[in-house]
Amino acid sequence: MNPDLQALITTLEMAALTTIILLMIGTPLAWYLAKMTSRFKVIIEAIVALPLVLPPTVLGFYLLIAFSPEHLPGQLWQQATGQQLAFSFSAIVIGSVLYSLPFVVQPLQKAFEQLGDSLLEAGALLGAGPIDRFFSIVLPLTKASFITAASLGFAHTVGEFGVILMIGGNIPGETRVLSIALFDHVEAFDYAKAHLLSISLLLSSMLLLASIYWLNLPKKNNTTKLNHRIKVKEYTSHE
Amino acid sequence: MSNAPELDIDITVNYRQFNLAISQKLPLTGITGIFGHSGSGKSTLLRAIAGLESSVQGEITLNDQCLINSPKRISIRPEDRQVGLVFQNSRLFPHLTVFDNLNFAAKRCKHSQLTVDEVIKLTNLSSLVSQKADELSGGQQQRVALARAILAEPKLLLLDEPLSALDQHSKNQLLKMMLNIQKKLNLPILYVSHSLDELQQVCDKLLILSQGEVVDFGNIHQVIHQLNNCDNSDDNATIHPQTSLSLTIKKRDNGHGLTSLAVGDAQEIFLVANADFEQHSPLRCFILASDISICLTEPTNSSIVNHLFGTISQITHQVNKVLVRVNCDSQEFFVTISAFSQQKLALTVNQQVYLQFKASAVRTFIH
Repeated sequence: MNPDLQALITTLEMAALTTIILLMIGTPLAWYLAKMTSRFKVIIEAIVALPLVLPPTVLGFYLLIAFSPEHLPGQLWQQATGQQLAFSFSAIVIGSVLYSLPFVVQPLQKAFEQLGDSLLEAGALLGAGPIDRFFSIVLPLTKASFITAASLGFAHTVGEFGVILMIGGNIPGETRVLSIALFDHVEAFDYAKAHLLSISLLLSSMLLLASIYWLNLPKKNNTTKLNHRIKVKEYTSHE
Repeated sequence: MSNAPELDIDITVNYRQFNLAISQKLPLTGITGIFGHSGSGKSTLLRAIAGLESSVQGEITLNDQCLINSPKRISIRPEDRQVGLVFQNSRLFPHLTVFDNLNFAAKRCKHSQLTVDEVIKLTNLSSLVSQKADELSGGQQQRVALARAILAEPKLLLLDEPLSALDQHSKNQLLKMMLNIQKKLNLPILYVSHSLDELQQVCDKLLILSQGEVVDFGNIHQVIHQLNNCDNSDDNATIHPQTSLSLTIKKRDNGHGLTSLAVGDAQEIFLVANADFEQHSPLRCFILASDISICLTEPTNSSIVNHLFGTISQITHQVNKVLVRVNCDSQEFFVTISAFSQQKLALTVNQQVYLQFKASAVRTFIH
């Protein structure tokens, strides 16, 4: 198989799996942060937002140490699966989840905060339990934020480089993703292939962001959606 | 021991700048009003009953079913309490149509006896069912909120100032609807408002709250009469001194555009007739104490149509004025006169007097 095509497939698999895990972890975390009134909230928020300011290589370095068989997370993983965690597909998925966490948690947290408690209280008094309220009230009213969160998480994962290089290396079919393949082409002075990958990444990112902006176009009487446009701008400015 | 259904409240809610301490049994019949000024704890009390306040200490029992018992660490979740609440702002789900909002409640009602169609008819919502909630006017939204709350078939319905943001026409429409619903479904209602007018139109009993405590509770007319004695300078629940009445219509129109109401067996009062009055049915009305005057002899040569004979039962001195309570055929009337007039007439308790007031001084809530 064409190595670049293989890198594309690995990238899409990694980004899709990361996005699913991010939504599963990020939704309850964002909900907890939106409802939390404790003074420790700022500490958790800071930890979640850390990847926005931390050099990816720093995160990658500490993850590499943690994933090695000499340390507890790596040891536990090896005992459970029989395989080494560092330099594996699983390692780059875990790294991507941590690195893209704020891009999913923050839009959801803001949406849950904006939604407030009033409609949820009304739902409860009409007999809807917590899970029912989430699916019948919260999800439909914050749908746009979920799309934004998933798109930003996916796009950010596709564009990762530093963390993946540190914990995944460059193993074709396993950890060699598009950004690493692009780096390889530049190092080999194969600018034609580098251009092709770059322009593909550039156009697909543009297309994705334009889609998010379009989905979040302000609509009449819909303040939640109105504010999402501003949020998308905030989050994409970190990229 | 009475077995009548009741709501037994014995709770405290403590916040940094506000404390609510209520120990009160409320009968679960008809409409009970809760009156008090802003910050008196009306909404907090309703939220505590509904299970929306997290810092409630004590016990609430609804018709022998424990809703909360903090010493025993029992707290029934709001969705399991079978208590409905209509908020000041309708809180309709904006992503759903009117029908879907109603269906939301109907689908989750465990012992459904009412159908969505029945409630739509009862609340006159037929023409609105396909509209989105945010396309409705304030009055329409509150009608939908009321209909939705009924469809959950609560054992107790709480209304938290549901009319405060509406115009007079919408208020009257909704009040009529509430009375109709209460009678048809025999649904006990607790109705919070800072407008005594609203409460006087529909409530049978009245609870007065001030600074998080119960000031008075009882028959609405008696409680309003108790409020007459409150010192107006203090910021507790105060009103314009008045006589609050519920009298039977004797004759809808006497041929001169006046309706007569029976006061006891022998006396009557007149007020301006209205097409909405119904013969022989009770009419709620009030007369401001400042609109009644006192005569020592029967005022036979006066254009004022209402003359009542009674006995002074109490004289309360206030700043530069006097509040006189007069008993006319078992019906209490309140009169405010100046301290100067009181001195001139030398009024005393047990003295027999005549009250006089114009037909237009008898005010109803029908506009």
